Amino acid sequence: MIRLPSLPVLALLGLLLIGFAALPAFAGPYEVKFATRVLATAVFVLGLDLLIGVTGLVSFGHAAWFGLGAYAVWFVTPPDWEAANLPLALLAAVALPGVVAAVVGLFAVRTRAFYFIMVTLAASQMIFAFFHDTRVAGGSDGASIDVKPALEIAGRTVLDLSNRNALLWLAVAALALAYVFVLTLARSRFGRVLQGLKANETRMNALGFDGAKYKWASFVIAAMVAGLGGAIYASIDGFVPPEILGWRESGLAIMMVVLGGVGSLWGAILGALVYALAEEILKSSDLVGAAISDHWPIAMGVLLIAAVLGAPKGLAGWLPERRARPWSPPADAETSTAAAAPSRPPRLEVDGLRRTFGGLTAVDGVAVAFEPARIHAVIGPNGAGKTTFTNLLSGALPVSGGTIRLDGVDVTALSAPAKARRGIGRSFQRTNVLPGFTVAENCELSAQARGFAGASRAEEARAVAHALAATGLVDRADRTAASLSHGEQRQLEIAMLIASGAKLLILDEPLAGSGPEETARLTALLKDLAVDHTILIIEHDMDAVFACADTVSVLVGGRLLAHGAPDEIRRDAAVREAYLGRFAGLEDAA
Amino acid sequence: MTIALATPTTSSVPTGEALLAATGVATAHGRIPCLRDVAFAVRPGETVGLLGRNGMGKTTLLRTLTGLLSGGPTASIRFRGVDLAGRRPAAIARAGIALVPEGRGIFPNLTVHENLILAARAGPSGKREWTLPRVFDLFPRLAERRANWGDQLSGGEQQMLSIGRALMTNPELLMLDEATEGLAPKVRDEIWKTLRIVAATGMAIVVVDKNLEDLFELADRHVILAKGEVVFEGPTAALTADPALVHRWLGV
Amino acid sequence: MDLVLVQIFNGIQYGFLIFLAASGLTLVFGILGVINLAHGSFYMLGAYLALSLTEATGDVFLACLLGIPLAAVFGWAIERLFIRRLYGRDHLQQVLLTFALILIFNEVQRMLWGNYPHSVPAPTWLSGSIRLTDTLAYPIYRLALTVICAALAAAMFFVIRKTGVGRLIRAGESNREMTELLGFDANRLYGLVFAAGVALAALAGMLAAPVESVYPGIGERILIISFVVVVIGGIGSLEGAFLGALAIGVADALGKVFLPDFAGVLVYALMATVLVVRPAGLFGRTIR
Repeated sequence: MIRLPSLPVLALLGLLLIGFAALPAFAGPYEVKFATRVLATAVFVLGLDLLIGVTGLVSFGHAAWFGLGAYAVWFVTPPDWEAANLPLALLAAVALPGVVAAVVGLFAVRTRAFYFIMVTLAASQMIFAFFHDTRVAGGSDGASIDVKPALEIAGRTVLDLSNRNALLWLAVAALALAYVFVLTLARSRFGRVLQGLKANETRMNALGFDGAKYKWASFVIAAMVAGLGGAIYASIDGFVPPEILGWRESGLAIMMVVLGGVGSLWGAILGALVYALAEEILKSSDLVGAAISDHWPIAMGVLLIAAVLGAPKGLAGWLPERRARPWSPPADAETSTAAAAPSRPPRLEVDGLRRTFGGLTAVDGVAVAFEPARIHAVIGPNGAGKTTFTNLLSGALPVSGGTIRLDGVDVTALSAPAKARRGIGRSFQRTNVLPGFTVAENCELSAQARGFAGASRAEEARAVAHALAATGLVDRADRTAASLSHGEQRQLEIAMLIASGAKLLILDEPLAGSGPEETARLTALLKDLAVDHTILIIEHDMDAVFACADTVSVLVGGRLLAHGAPDEIRRDAAVREAYLGRFAGLEDAA
Repeated sequence: MTIALATPTTSSVPTGEALLAATGVATAHGRIPCLRDVAFAVRPGETVGLLGRNGMGKTTLLRTLTGLLSGGPTASIRFRGVDLAGRRPAAIARAGIALVPEGRGIFPNLTVHENLILAARAGPSGKREWTLPRVFDLFPRLAERRANWGDQLSGGEQQMLSIGRALMTNPELLMLDEATEGLAPKVRDEIWKTLRIVAATGMAIVVVDKNLEDLFELADRHVILAKGEVVFEGPTAALTADPALVHRWLGV
Repeated sequence: MDLVLVQIFNGIQYGFLIFLAASGLTLVFGILGVINLAHGSFYMLGAYLALSLTEATGDVFLACLLGIPLAAVFGWAIERLFIRRLYGRDHLQQVLLTFALILIFNEVQRMLWGNYPHSVPAPTWLSGSIRLTDTLAYPIYRLALTVICAALAAAMFFVIRKTGVGRLIRAGESNREMTELLGFDANRLYGLVFAAGVALAALAGMLAAPVESVYPGIGERILIISFVVVVIGGIGSLEGAFLGALAIGVADALGKVFLPDFAGVLVYALMATVLVVRPAGLFGRTIR
């Protein structure tokens, strides 16, 4: 979870900005231009960290948005104007990348990992080729902005970017603004979902969030932030070379993000500064000697390799992080936990449920009804189709045939997010919490999914309190999920489901990997929860299953072999045969 | 909840003459412990059944013995007198341990013939008992399908190929993880028949399987895992004589 | 019409060259799981090796014979020193480290060979042109280049499909763990594959040297094109890379004639179209 910067970081950032702003007092034009370039780059890189560090999308085409922002200034400053309009220039610089990214993003967010990298690279190269090969904006020679933007109010020029110092101050303000904006965004409810997507997209979809939409939005916003940086860059020399759209610039930006520390946001600023300074120092023969300065890229390369291998967390890893704000229950938690609890647990009914993979039938005509407020166990040998069965119920997989009814309503065709919104919550075989979030933050993010059903903020807060209380995690609320024991992580998973408003809990092997004590605690928890939830568990721990389940369903080869009370299942000859093979018969004889 | 642990520590295997002797195996997936101080031994020429319900650590143990997982700092895995703990899977394979993994591990983009000859090598003591003709003798189906791609085989054929391929490395110890899972009864019988033939050649075998009757017929000795610990260890007769024990650890 | 024919010839020849470079990239990604941005640098290395070795030996083919083992050893060392530390790491760190390698290689190139374009002569016995039709002549070296590249591509498919090493590469691509269980050291396989990838890229650079001039940015253009080819073909697929390379080569050559303003956009548009229709490339990802 991205937090506000710690005090030392704030102090460092404040000093940096003051230092930049005060630069004209003690430095010459070269330094001022250099500083302005660093600031423009920092805004650009900040946008990229929003994408990489917050949403978890590695774009290899981010320079396209930076470059489009710069070209946008050229588009709105025709040479025959006396002075170009600064608000118009800035607006264009943000809008043009935003619009183009909105189109590219439609395609890009549907691809993953390597393909996302390649699609963004291809998009940026197409934009590069458009500007480089055609004469739309100066072609390969680049575009010259003869009249720099200025701000006029009531006929007086307030800010003229042809003034070096004015531009520097504008850049300082733009960076400060961009940082506050990106930080606020990342910490907002929207940003929390983005972080959740980075940590675990499957989980977020299962909670009811539509990941693609959120990723698209962050892609567009990141492009607009980069465009702002581009506008400042274009105003420095009044010249936009097409190369700033190219993949090298994109690569450098990634490098600065990683150098600074992915996902710290302020690290992006530091990364841009440190990279620029390192380049400046390595290029200066006075400082490092001609032997190095003549061949500075080698030294830079070695430095970067050392940084990648030696400090994978980047510069941000060296400064302290602020601790999470402690969670406190809402004032009215005591009186109204009942209100936050789900109204009435649902009844789940499946009929003729079928799923095939190619020629293989994994689930084959299962018909069973799960009564409300009970614990239902699904057991069966490996490969019996249990996990496929839960995937069908939760909507992670589409069915090949049959119906699923929730309280009599047909929900068969609904997607995973849509089913989650109807109150079907599922946990996964592997623990699936968001490791960097605290326990309370995990639940808060889950509770946010209630918003889809029209819950208010107050109701969300109550749901979090209720979930923590119901799962016995109140005293763990401020610990990060990663620091919990295995059993506590599984409790947290269940807490997240409850917080999200799930009334039907589908738990895939909740006891796997738990020792005897943890197993006892978790089964007791399940029994408590069954009062106002319908619970479906898939489990191999037979002792636990028979100790807590009200009904047991046995799947073998994708078919429902038996369904009934635990004692009936124990006595069922077919079930024993399925588990013990023909030995079950011998056992009876013996 | 109470679990009455059987006392497994009175091992009937004198480690001095063991082919494989693993002790102190404590494998974990991240923070989750999967095996807790497990000891496991196989004598030369012996067939051992490794039992337990799903998720109790059988596959984890086999993967640890073959070096795919780390058995933790306390693990010692002595095989033919050499400690293999911490060695890479390739080195362990060359030392003479072959695994027929769950899911069979067939290379889908190699033909049956290629799958087999890729694995061909002399055993750790230089012997080449298992050759292509001999594997084709054992599994005539494979000879018929030799030109087919790995993913064009039926499940039973893939399983035969996986076993045949493991034999081509001429191991001293063959370990099979759920080798009859998901197969038709006739095919299962054929796999069991084959395993009896292989066992009769004197090769040591470890079998993880759910078909207890067939397993009891094949194996000399059994080890039962529950929640990552050894809860039973003893000869087949001890299990067949005590159905309650079997039911306790393996039944519903 | 003649121009179109010549451009088609040029496109096929260019496509074969791209295939040599892209095949190394796709093998390295398919088997090692590493995104190697420095792959273009190995193409550049080849081009400059051709320059120096042709000066020394007088014949670009002799230069190739000497250059291939040099490039392979170089690639093996790079794998040992750097790439090996990237297995299983984040794509981001792979991108970054190989990007840093580009910086270093480019500067080393500048130190050793300078900033100016050079040209490498085609062997005298292959210089000149032959008449294809009454009005159409085509340089002999380009024809020879096409034939050599085609032969190399055929040899590559032969090695992958029919030899023991090829079997191991295919096995490693589909199931690394199983190859280890059968006793093959994955580290050695990875070193071998990376060295082979470098040798292929360098060879492409060496063979192309007499056709293109040899200049500093030469590797980066081929890198981007190779990535496009790999993505079009489906990551890890050799057949895909082959078809993708020929399609890109011909499209690029024809684009230069018919849409000179948009030739640069064309290849990316082709890739975007393929990805929209088939999000995982033309071919699945296993090598047969």
